[in-house]
Amino acid sequence: MTTPDVDELRRRLRALGYLDAGVDRFVLAPARASRGPAVLAALASVRVGVLAALLLGPAAAIGLGARLPGLVTGVRDAAVLAVYLGVLFGAAMAGVSLAVSFIVRAIFRSPAALAGVRARRFAFAAGALVTIAALAYLTLWWRTANAGFGWRAPAATALALVVAVAISLLLGHAVRIATLGVLAAAAPAAAGPRAMKHSWTLNVAAGALAFAGAAVLLVWAAPAEPVAARPPLTVVPTGLHVRVIAIDGVDSAILQQLADGGRLPSLAAAIAKSRAALAPEDTRDPARAWTTVATGTLPDVHGVASLETRRVAGVRGRLAAASGGTADVIRAATDLLRLTRPAVVSREQRRVKTIWEAAADAGLRTAVVNWWASWPAPPDSGIVVTDRAILRLERGGALDAEIAPASLYTALRAAWPSLRERARAQAAGAFDAIADRETQTVLTRSAELDATLAGIAAALPGPPRDLDVLYLPGLDIAQHTLLAATEPAAAAPSVIAARLDALRSYYVFVDRLVTPIAAPAEGELVMLVTEPGRVERPGPGTLAAAGRTVAPAHAVEAAAVDVAPTVLHALGVPLSRELAGHAVLAFFDGSFAARYPIRFVATYGPPSSTNESRRGQPLDQEMIDRLRSLGYVR
Amino acid sequence: MSALPRFFSDYQQRVSAELGRLLPQRDGAVERAMRYTALAPSKQVRAVVTLSCADLCGAPAERAVPAAAAIELVHAASLILDDLPSMDDAPLRRGRRANHLEFGEAIAILAAFGLLNLAFGTLARAHDPPLAGRLAALTSGAVGPDGLIGGQALDLLATERGIDFEMLERIHRGKTGALFVAAATSGALIAGAGPDAIAALAAYAKNLGLAFQIIDDLLDVEGDPAETGKAVRADARKTTFVSFSGLDGARQLALELCATADRALAPFGARADRLRELSAFVAARRL
Repeated sequence: MTTPDVDELRRRLRALGYLDAGVDRFVLAPARASRGPAVLAALASVRVGVLAALLLGPAAAIGLGARLPGLVTGVRDAAVLAVYLGVLFGAAMAGVSLAVSFIVRAIFRSPAALAGVRARRFAFAAGALVTIAALAYLTLWWRTANAGFGWRAPAATALALVVAVAISLLLGHAVRIATLGVLAAAAPAAAGPRAMKHSWTLNVAAGALAFAGAAVLLVWAAPAEPVAARPPLTVVPTGLHVRVIAIDGVDSAILQQLADGGRLPSLAAAIAKSRAALAPEDTRDPARAWTTVATGTLPDVHGVASLETRRVAGVRGRLAAASGGTADVIRAATDLLRLTRPAVVSREQRRVKTIWEAAADAGLRTAVVNWWASWPAPPDSGIVVTDRAILRLERGGALDAEIAPASLYTALRAAWPSLRERARAQAAGAFDAIADRETQTVLTRSAELDATLAGIAAALPGPPRDLDVLYLPGLDIAQHTLLAATEPAAAAPSVIAARLDALRSYYVFVDRLVTPIAAPAEGELVMLVTEPGRVERPGPGTLAAAGRTVAPAHAVEAAAVDVAPTVLHALGVPLSRELAGHAVLAFFDGSFAARYPIRFVATYGPPSSTNESRRGQPLDQEMIDRLRSLGYVR
Repeated sequence: MSALPRFFSDYQQRVSAELGRLLPQRDGAVERAMRYTALAPSKQVRAVVTLSCADLCGAPAERAVPAAAAIELVHAASLILDDLPSMDDAPLRRGRRANHLEFGEAIAILAAFGLLNLAFGTLARAHDPPLAGRLAALTSGAVGPDGLIGGQALDLLATERGIDFEMLERIHRGKTGALFVAAATSGALIAGAGPDAIAALAAYAKNLGLAFQIIDDLLDVEGDPAETGKAVRADARKTTFVSFSGLDGARQLALELCATADRALAPFGARADRLRELSAFVAARRL
């Protein structure tokens, strides 16, 4: 049984550097040797930095992983990030400690002043500031890391805040001790440390106050709307099979002109009955624009900011190339240190579900071919032939989640030679009328790609699906190569005019290519989505619907974010309230609207984080090279 | 009565032999007074700390023997001065009459200075100049106003006066802790140890030194002069750890300090077992 006096003496001994003053000993170890204040400040600050690195690095890695989806794909990524962030925070905290030490030394020059109460109070204030800053950061980190559920998980949050308070107090204490050490070195006569005039009660009160402050900060910084739990999706079957044909690089005016001229019979039929103009988007980036289409959310929500991303050395995840805020800071820092290399955006950066993922979640059968940022394919979202599938089919080898389910890869790989041969045959001769050989080559290459993708879509096995999605990039690639990437010397008006004419022939090619799938059969709804592609001045896109249940509708105004809700509503899937767009109800006839009113759910939840088998070598560099050759990345 | 750890005897023999070699053999009063205290039966804990730390950090013990002997010489000098009538006026030391009672006050003072002088000379002769300089500076710090002298001065001012806990700690840090820390650091420096090892051993010695002093306070109250070799209740006029925490509390704090000293040895693993034996001995000592 200990007496109260012993408890008090134990505390005072601790304050004097005895007993368990481990942190003090660690920070002030350099003071054991005879060193000047400056050297001691530097060495002690380095140790404070080491403490900060060990304490804040792992915490920040978890927070950053939650803030930047796709960056952390596993324990290894988290560990490497923790090292990077540990170095960052360690350097910052060492800098703060060093600055405080020098400031206090500059302010209190005379030995008397150094030994005085004011100097010690200054050191205490510096430690308190560091404590407050660290606590505020860790509290906001917790808010981010737990997606804002805050006090709705009181035990976890209380525990996190207790840990945050402990870390913050420890770091603040370390800075104070380092500063006091420098004071002692500068004025040896004052070196005898004095026990601070505080007690257990005061310590507990300070901890409780810090906890309360952090709790208030957490409440203050909480999102206005709580994060909703993901409810089960209940489909009201509409009996419709929906086929989405997405064509990139389409100029709506040219499309209309050629359709009116009778040169695009299939596409003309697709847009004849019901059509909406999609408001121009503020981006030329295809991954960003088409992810907006596929998710019905804006880029700041879906997270795919650009096609080009950065991969941080040692981390398997990716960092968006232009997403602002934290990502920009991390990217700038890692670029500066030559720790990054270019990479292509992937599904791991996407924070919300696409139409095929939401539909598959609702139990519908789905297939998607070649959509941007669809790699790596999840195992639970129907058939996914990702934007890397062509590369994998060309090169063979073990699958790295380019295609799901994995069994489909075997079938497509077996059919690959015939698919390619048929694609070449479709492209061959389509552009013979074009005199310029270079233009002809560009168009033929794009046509082979589109024909291959259409061939893959047609070759997908299995029972009829509720949703088929196909993305065709050929027109955008051709248009970009012929117009946007034109050498100044070749930019004579006559050349440009010839190339524009040549591009018109590509519209005709695409029309022929989609003929087998553009005409809706009984119970089918064909939706055509176009975007203007990578042109200087983005124009409107097109959303058109064709099928028996489609009502005549023209001069409808819509946006890219309206595509996903329209498709999902046609399938009978309730709409998430997190979608930014609305279903274009003008497309549906009265009986459909009456039988299938729009239903809502709070959320579709985050995308699946589990990937299909990833035994194969990732095709990262090959993908970069391919996109570079097609003019997507520089 | 707690037994000395077995490894002590080897170290003690080496240090005693070195002291015998170093101390002047002439038959003058000062020389005899020097030998009287320096060669009196003693545990030589500080010297053992030096040798153990040197051994732990990889130096052969014989390399550190001169420094260990120097530490013991300084300690012996401090005991002579401590017992003077103008200081603690103690009659008994190391089981014998105090030096000044045997040789007179003037000779005792000269003997103390002779021992101090011999200590610094030993350090200078035994090591290369850079290391000798560092050891001399370290010992000088432990003896000077921030060490033994400062602690003794505060102790004198505090006698028969109420002092606070921080003042008591400063006294003990100066009178006991400083030389313990210097002893440990000397051993590590001779072995060429790095800053982290030196810091760990200094933390060990700091905690052990205070524990040693608290046990001294306890023995002053409840010890047997036949065992301790000095008069009991000599510190009755002084404020001690026992004054603040009582007998049980003081013993408990001493045990906790020894445990903390052991924890400081964690980086060395099992190699530091001798120092752990030493702290266990300090925690249990009755002499």
